[in-house]
Amino acid sequence: MAAAPSSDTDSGRGESKEASSKWLDAHYDPMANIHTFSSCLALADLHGDGEYKLVVGDLGPSGQQSCLKVLQGPKVLTESPLPALPAAAATFLMDQHEPRTPALALASGPCVYVYKNLRPYFKFSLPHLPLNPLEQDLWNQAKEDRIDPLTLKEMLEGIREKAEVPLSVQSLRFLQLELSEMEAFVNQHKAKTLKRQTVITTMTTLKKNLADEDAVSCLVLGTENKELLVLDPEAFTVLAKMSLPSVPVFLEVSGQFDVEFRLAAACRNGNICILRRDSKGPKYCIELSAQPVGLVRVHKVLVVGSTQDSLHGFTHKGKKLWTVQMPAAILTMNLMEQRARGLQAVMAGLANGEVRIYRDKTLLDVIRTPDAVTSLCFGRYGREDNTLIATTRGGGLMIKILKRTAVFADGGGEVGPPPAQATKLNVPRKTRLYVDQTLREREAGIGPGPGPHLQAHTAPAEHLDSPPHPGAAGLLPVRGGALRPAPGLLQGPLVGARAQLPPGDLCGESQ
Amino acid sequence: MAEERTVMRTQLPTSAESQNPQLKKALEFPILEKQNWLIHLHYIHKDYEACKAVIKEQLRETQGLCEYALYVQALIFRLEGNIQDSLELFQTCAVLSPQCADNLKQVARSLFLLGKHKAATEVYNEAAKLNQKDWEICHNLGVCYIYLKQFNKARDQLHHALHLNRHDLTYIMLGKIHLLEGNLDKAIEIYKKAVEFSPENTELLTTLGLLYLQLGIYQKAFEYLGNALTYDPTNYKAILAAGSMMQTHGDFDVALTKYRIVACAVPESPPLWNNIGMCFFGKKKYVAAISCLKRANYLAPFDWKILYNLGLVHLTMQQYASAFHFLSAAINFQPKMAELYMLLAVALTNLEDTENAKRAYAEAVHLDKCNPLVNLNYAVLLYNQGQKREALAQYQEMEKKVNLLKDSSSLEFDSEMVEVAQKLGAALHVGEALVWTKPAKDSRSQHRTTSASKAACFQQPLGSNQALGQAMSSAAAYRKLPSERGEGREKEERNIDE
Repeated sequence: MAAAPSSDTDSGRGESKEASSKWLDAHYDPMANIHTFSSCLALADLHGDGEYKLVVGDLGPSGQQSCLKVLQGPKVLTESPLPALPAAAATFLMDQHEPRTPALALASGPCVYVYKNLRPYFKFSLPHLPLNPLEQDLWNQAKEDRIDPLTLKEMLEGIREKAEVPLSVQSLRFLQLELSEMEAFVNQHKAKTLKRQTVITTMTTLKKNLADEDAVSCLVLGTENKELLVLDPEAFTVLAKMSLPSVPVFLEVSGQFDVEFRLAAACRNGNICILRRDSKGPKYCIELSAQPVGLVRVHKVLVVGSTQDSLHGFTHKGKKLWTVQMPAAILTMNLMEQRARGLQAVMAGLANGEVRIYRDKTLLDVIRTPDAVTSLCFGRYGREDNTLIATTRGGGLMIKILKRTAVFADGGGEVGPPPAQATKLNVPRKTRLYVDQTLREREAGIGPGPGPHLQAHTAPAEHLDSPPHPGAAGLLPVRGGALRPAPGLLQGPLVGARAQLPPGDLCGESQ
Repeated sequence: MAEERTVMRTQLPTSAESQNPQLKKALEFPILEKQNWLIHLHYIHKDYEACKAVIKEQLRETQGLCEYALYVQALIFRLEGNIQDSLELFQTCAVLSPQCADNLKQVARSLFLLGKHKAATEVYNEAAKLNQKDWEICHNLGVCYIYLKQFNKARDQLHHALHLNRHDLTYIMLGKIHLLEGNLDKAIEIYKKAVEFSPENTELLTTLGLLYLQLGIYQKAFEYLGNALTYDPTNYKAILAAGSMMQTHGDFDVALTKYRIVACAVPESPPLWNNIGMCFFGKKKYVAAISCLKRANYLAPFDWKILYNLGLVHLTMQQYASAFHFLSAAINFQPKMAELYMLLAVALTNLEDTENAKRAYAEAVHLDKCNPLVNLNYAVLLYNQGQKREALAQYQEMEKKVNLLKDSSSLEFDSEMVEVAQKLGAALHVGEALVWTKPAKDSRSQHRTTSASKAACFQQPLGSNQALGQAMSSAAAYRKLPSERGEGREKEERNIDE
């Protein structure tokens, strides 16, 4: 009974056949052992030889052995271990010196490691956070043995209740200890200076003063301390500091730092904050009703993916433009920019193994992958423009190249009535036996037969006076529940007491 | 790890500005928030296993001090249904950082999920002290008050939430309050505002369409349902409602094609199969109709509408005994409905049990307020039994009702009904006093009625219709009689829950 799918569904849909696909499969290695997120992928010409390489901050299969991998073509060129898990990777031009090769910045923990020509060049650490002066004071007293552990504990707890500035890790650890251990702890640690350090959660680049491709860029860091820092590329000083209501997870910038820029930060509390130059805090705040999964800026529209499996488009002032529902959870999002044709679209990797490409609300293409895609990157790779690089959940690496002849027409997605409309309803069939029984009932029904039988039980007035049927009353309050009586019994309890017809005359076929 | 760090450092040329190179070595305590970003990423990717692994690792390293790890762990517990543990963890988080409103909000939410609404409101109020302008707190307070049945407070909170920030959810909750209080007009107003704010939200559009349907404003209902379907062509409620409206128009084939879409997505839905059955009935495919209705009945054995339809179809198939049994089952569930008794009487008449048939008619007439068909059929029976005087009385009752209906609404009467009435009138020598101004539909002269009459009376004339068991879809078929108002709401409840 399965209806053949109509031809319009095939033509518009994501192609599984090579011939009609817009993508060439360049490479697929399911055993590449690369586990990463979109923020840790970057494409750049690191050696200045015109051949773009892929930089991957690999987190390792269980988040243990993180390393920095550089790939050229399908092969891994270099692999170097990292001290901590990389939160983000970005390539940027640091200065105007020749040769103009981009440097690689890797954010991990509280530091940014800068590599030039794949050699470690510089390490920037986030400035320490200010300490609570009361806490500092207390520990100083402890150092000079002017205070006993119990009092120290009480005072520290008092600070924790009320203070704006949180305690340092040392104090927090101390507060957790048992009485017996406190003395030892204080003696061990009282000489140390208190520190409060935060980590980097996200990073992106912002052009400094020119909008060219090869202009110098600043680094923009988002920290766990709910702040955004803009770093100067040459001296690595903090040029600007902005604060947010919550910890930033994804960043999108546009503009130039010296002229005018806009920053959109998707935060952990489900909001998207939009900041402008010279504003200490967010100018606009978009409140989503779920967590943002990805943030991509396409021309002037901010496309946000949410954990409710939908894509939303917002203006830069925060007004919602459109919503598109996805068939599965969104895992990652990234920008697809085809410079030659001036096309900018959003790629979304879904949990059901699809990569969907949207331009505004219209679905341009669907790519089916053998495994769910966890990170996406599009750009120039090797000497080929328009390459899509994706890593999958199982650690595989996939490289696809967009065909030169491929044109994304609007309406390449799903059009027309849903395919379900073509499948016929599955109406249960009746047997010959049933039809015979109905005829029999018709003939036997009229006449003196059943009448007297019915009479004794069916006077309608009795419907009102007699107590409601126990079966019905007992179960009536349950509405729409999962009560599935066996078919055979269906007719029994409800009306068995009422119509005592000779059994053969009921429509006795089974469901 | 320390070795790698030292290696890293020696490779670095001495550069200006590396602040505090001893940082890593001296810090014995790992930074608490070190892997918060990773926990968060795993969480939003819904990769809960990996998330839990990282959380465990972090809690071990920081000896339970990492607040975010605890927070996400509690969220995962909640997703898994383990609300009590979730509540405890959130309380721990609240202790770790007392100034944070988020933790208090989550504690309150856990209490709410555990059903402790009063406690939840108290915690929310505390959180509100920390953060005044949070729409989420106001919204959730409103929802708690709804559960505590304090609708006024709920309304205030939700309005406040709307002032702070407009969200679809808040509009929906406000609409629900108005519906719970029985105030359909205000509910419609709220939903209209919501649709203005968010024109693509299919849930809002569908609810608004259904409300208009309930009020009987079909044009608008169809408009909104149609909009909902353009944004989401597989929306179950919208398709059911639109399909049932098409059925009243007589477009059975179109309705069937629409139902096919839903049949793939939600194959075990009683109202769906009920409607499909009635489409077949309209197309005169009675066996198919019975199959579908039987399936609907199997899925929802306590639904009186399905039993009614089954009775009706069996009557049409002249299987009076089966019809009788279905109708009596329906009466068990719906003892105050006149049409049921009327159909029962028809079945009994055809089973030659005139005594009980008369009692059934008497009951029907007693319960009914506005359907002239009941009186007409009774009159026919009485006349056939030779009781002309009673027949005349019933005929006059019928006339009164017809006049009432003519004046109050633009109805179309079933043509067969008109024909029979005129014949009866002639037989009773009543004369042509009654003028049937509207052209009719067909009904059979054997007082085997079809609930088109029901359609004629209660449903609105979306166009002319032939004899057909009314599509008693639970999406449509809202009764408008004041006595049945309550049941209309019940159906609507069922709809919204579905």
